[in-house]
Amino acid sequence: MKSALLVVLFVFLFLWYLNFSATRLDRLHHRVETSWANLDGLLQRRAAIALELARSELADPASSLLLTDAAYQAREAPIAMRSQAESGLSSALRHLRVDMEAVAKPAERSLLTELSELTGKIQVAIALHVDSVNSTRVVRQKLIFKIFRLAGRAPLPVTYEFEDDVL
Amino acid sequence: MSSPKTLRIGIVCPYGWDAPGGVQAHIRDLAEYLITQGHSVSVLTPAADEDSLPSYVVSAGKPIAIPYNGAVARVLFGPIAFARVRQWIFQGNFDLLHLHEPAIPSLSLLACWAAEGPMVGTFHAASKKQRATFAIGPILEPVIEKLSARIAVSEEARLTLTAHLDTDAIVIPNGIYGKRFTAGTAQDKWSGKTLGFIGRFEEPRKGLSILLEALPLVTGFIPDIRVLVAGPGDGEEFIEKVDPQLRNRVTFLGRLSEEEKIDFLSSVSLYVAPNTGGESFGIILAEAMASGACVVASDIPAFTAMLGEGKFGSIFPSGDSAALARMIINLLRDDERRAFLAAAGQNNAKRFDWDTVAKEIFSVYEMAMVGRDGVHLASETRSWSRLLNREGETG
Repeated sequence: MKSALLVVLFVFLFLWYLNFSATRLDRLHHRVETSWANLDGLLQRRAAIALELARSELADPASSLLLTDAAYQAREAPIAMRSQAESGLSSALRHLRVDMEAVAKPAERSLLTELSELTGKIQVAIALHVDSVNSTRVVRQKLIFKIFRLAGRAPLPVTYEFEDDVL
Repeated sequence: MSSPKTLRIGIVCPYGWDAPGGVQAHIRDLAEYLITQGHSVSVLTPAADEDSLPSYVVSAGKPIAIPYNGAVARVLFGPIAFARVRQWIFQGNFDLLHLHEPAIPSLSLLACWAAEGPMVGTFHAASKKQRATFAIGPILEPVIEKLSARIAVSEEARLTLTAHLDTDAIVIPNGIYGKRFTAGTAQDKWSGKTLGFIGRFEEPRKGLSILLEALPLVTGFIPDIRVLVAGPGDGEEFIEKVDPQLRNRVTFLGRLSEEEKIDFLSSVSLYVAPNTGGESFGIILAEAMASGACVVASDIPAFTAMLGEGKFGSIFPSGDSAALARMIINLLRDDERRAFLAAAGQNNAKRFDWDTVAKEIFSVYEMAMVGRDGVHLASETRSWSRLLNREGETG
């Protein structure tokens, strides 16, 4: 009788733990989604600003071409290629920014300030996203999550490569 | 701040509100800054004296003094505190929670357990690897990973977090109200060839004894030197260790009010921070720099980072009183160098102004809130029926 009770208790605890783990993983996936949505939004805004800069009087034809190309690549890249494409845009912007700041008029200057504010936010957003992806991947490595397939059919989150992408 | 939307922000303080401390001061300043920006803020904290709290502070009960991490921490936990935390979260209807020190057994950890939604955690402490935190790591991990974003107040604090809990954080420094410090007026009684020291000097890690050991050497070259020590503690006991002939060079001022502290920092020739360790951030150095004092500090990591490896103040090897004495003598003789370091320091201190720091914190808030609709109680703490339903789907 006593041992039967113990077994019931154990099963119950185990079920609770499974539920707890599933909730935990669900929450982590949710965190990855939101941190990605946030980062994606910021990157889209940056690409839009890059295009606007390319069309402004600031850019000479060559840099305009370079920027437009990099911005479109960043926008259209599939998720696995995204960080590479965004790095390309970062370096294109980095090359042009110093020159642009020297000759900017007020209207264009506000564009450049917006860009530099955005850059700070993007760095924070990348750090947040990388962290949430890493913790999710670490948790999904654990045995209990694999045996009971607690992740279901959710894809393993993709790491974002350029942790130290500085502009 | 650019966002016109005002938020309902809940901040949780883990330590007793009445006890002096860096975390409490940080939370108070942050809450008041956010309120001036038009947000509505509620701070949940343990408090010994519930009658004299500011209007934005909610008490969760009296703190319990327990030994933790080599000091006595005034924290609060237990079933009653947990119920109050849940009630506060439920009634507060917050857009975002900001939890301070969620890895310490106190209210922040309880709040992190009880809530779900946008949560930001700030880690203040810097310490060596602790076995206790390792042991409870597996328990803490699922709780800490609920935070949407983690902030560390210094590189030291970030490394502590990475070592203990295997997660990363964004470094945003503690804030100071820079304008108040630049507005200090030099007082005659504290000016001249004076060395300033502020802190609980009875704690060995604050390093006052190192400064006093350097004193005989300094007086040999600069006879009219004076050491002014501000901070709570018993000076009588300390002065007995000093050479009787030099005792009149050392003055204990007791605890200074906030205004006195600012004037004090604006008056002294050099501000000396001989700490031997245990500092995570060193807000006092930021304050000293902001008031235009030339800073001399030991080379513990928090201070070298704060002083830009020596660009904004002088750095001596920690614990080496002879090196400290040489540095004091050189600086007191070289007015130009002193003025240069003071100006560089004052400029550097702008980085720690609340206008800058709060903006950075707020931008983390915004990111934590993307696509989320406010804070509510977590499902684990809600009901059993929900548990059974979920089992069917996942198990």
